[in-house]
Amino acid sequence: MIHIESMTFGYGKRPLFEGLDLNLEPGTAYGLLGLNGAGKTSLLKLLAGALCPQSGTIRVFGEEPWRKKASFLADTIFVPEDPWVPAVKPSAWLDRYAVFRPAFDRERFAALSREFALEEDKLLTRYSYGQRKKFTLAAALASGARLILLDEPTNGLDIPSKSQFRRALAQSVDPNRIVIVSTHQVRDLERVIDPALIVHGGKILFRLGSDLMAERLGAAHVSELSPDVVYAEKDRVGYSALLELGHGTGADDVQAADLELVFNAAIASPDRLKTALSGAQLPPLDPADAAVREYGEKEEAQ
Amino acid sequence: MKMTKETLRKPFSAARVVLLAKNRALEDLPAFGIGAGILAGLNLLTIIATRRAMMNDSNGQSWAVIISIAGFFLAAAAFKGMHDGRAGTEWILLPATSLEKYTAALVFYAIIYPLVAAATATALSALLSLVELIAGGPGGRIWNPLSAGFDGWVNYATGALIFAAGSAAFRKRAFIKTVGVSVAYALACMGLLLAGMLLIRRVQGLPLSFTGSFQNEMSFSGNITPGAQRAMDVIEKIVRYALIPLFAIFYGYFRVAEKEARDEVQ
Repeated sequence: MIHIESMTFGYGKRPLFEGLDLNLEPGTAYGLLGLNGAGKTSLLKLLAGALCPQSGTIRVFGEEPWRKKASFLADTIFVPEDPWVPAVKPSAWLDRYAVFRPAFDRERFAALSREFALEEDKLLTRYSYGQRKKFTLAAALASGARLILLDEPTNGLDIPSKSQFRRALAQSVDPNRIVIVSTHQVRDLERVIDPALIVHGGKILFRLGSDLMAERLGAAHVSELSPDVVYAEKDRVGYSALLELGHGTGADDVQAADLELVFNAAIASPDRLKTALSGAQLPPLDPADAAVREYGEKEEAQ
Repeated sequence: MKMTKETLRKPFSAARVVLLAKNRALEDLPAFGIGAGILAGLNLLTIIATRRAMMNDSNGQSWAVIISIAGFFLAAAAFKGMHDGRAGTEWILLPATSLEKYTAALVFYAIIYPLVAAATATALSALLSLVELIAGGPGGRIWNPLSAGFDGWVNYATGALIFAAGSAAFRKRAFIKTVGVSVAYALACMGLLLAGMLLIRRVQGLPLSFTGSFQNEMSFSGNITPGAQRAMDVIEKIVRYALIPLFAIFYGYFRVAEKEARDEVQ
């Protein structure tokens, strides 16, 4: 398991995390969501051992990542958003780099390579960005590592590859493994990641499980702001609204809340979302409230 | 050499060092091959023009010089990947410790590379000598790597350690910067020595004259006693064979360890 306690980390004088606490269990694919600059990549690198916390502790399966023991590094794999590859062919990569990981599953790697249609006779440096991404994802999913950290894995993947990746990722989740996926493309992965961790202001602002979301939240297109609206995005003909369930919604055709809308609600109006998730009655919503946005309006990381 | 779960538990594994050194060899092989090919081509051209191989000269030390310079260039690029924003993360997270990665680089550039390069150069020298003979030249001159002497190879190894340390310290242009810093250190040391000698002369009431010969000043104008000379020889050997290599080894290692502890966000 992963245990983070009172962890502080930052660059220069700018703190990114202050007193962060987090516990993650195996057998789960966690989604890590946050605005640009919220610290998603840094958190993944801290867990991988590529960065060292300034204070507090991080333990991954009982090890402190920053110590970079070979056994820990072989049990962890981190795929950056823009992965580096050496100037070798895939077979040479297996002989030179995969050999450092005794649990690497060559058969699974071969199967994933076939599924991703990776060219065997081409230097990895000649691969396109998407191909490099697929290669490193295949290597990560076949690595046998108990901690798999993926930073924006679907960026650069074509549409068929995204569904192949989702399938492969779902197959890689087992009771001994923790998968953490940082992404802005929540719609690509919302059926695979559960729960979603929302990073904001140096903290884990929300830990949203699909069961809780299904029980308490719904989405609908509404023409007016009713009291059960948690968050709304105004468009030309009304509002795309995140609704609190269980308090008699006035909207017809309520659907399951999508993660992107929930994420936007978490950033724009965290208190309102917390209230909705707790099951309490929401206060009335004013059209000028922070929980009502123009469609496409963005917020920067704090 | 296969990694197992038992190997992984070891804090220092020779198996991982061997794998890392093998990877370095495979990475440097194309550059090594191209270099050897260019040398062979240039020598063949001089055989065609003059019936003599350019590098099979009378003392044959051109081979040693070329091997050393090429080795210094390779050593100066030993940790280039570590400083790269994207490759650096991969380098740091490769399942081996900082000490193993550093040891593999030192063993490769200070020991394995010169042995392989010397063997290749000897074979090339013999081949060129034969071609020379066939072309009607003198032939018969084959470079002997042992002719460089123990001192020659120790000097090379020390140089390789210094350039590897430079590669760990400098993100860009490590070769030039290492040369610059080494020259600056050497000049500073010479300056301090000279200042010390002048101070001793002043204390002893000797005239403060500098003859222009550093060696002459160092030996008190040739008036040094045999015992003092022996002591100076011992000090010089300690500095050359122990202090400088050890400084380079430890400095480079701590730079690598520091880099591993403070990777930059991508």
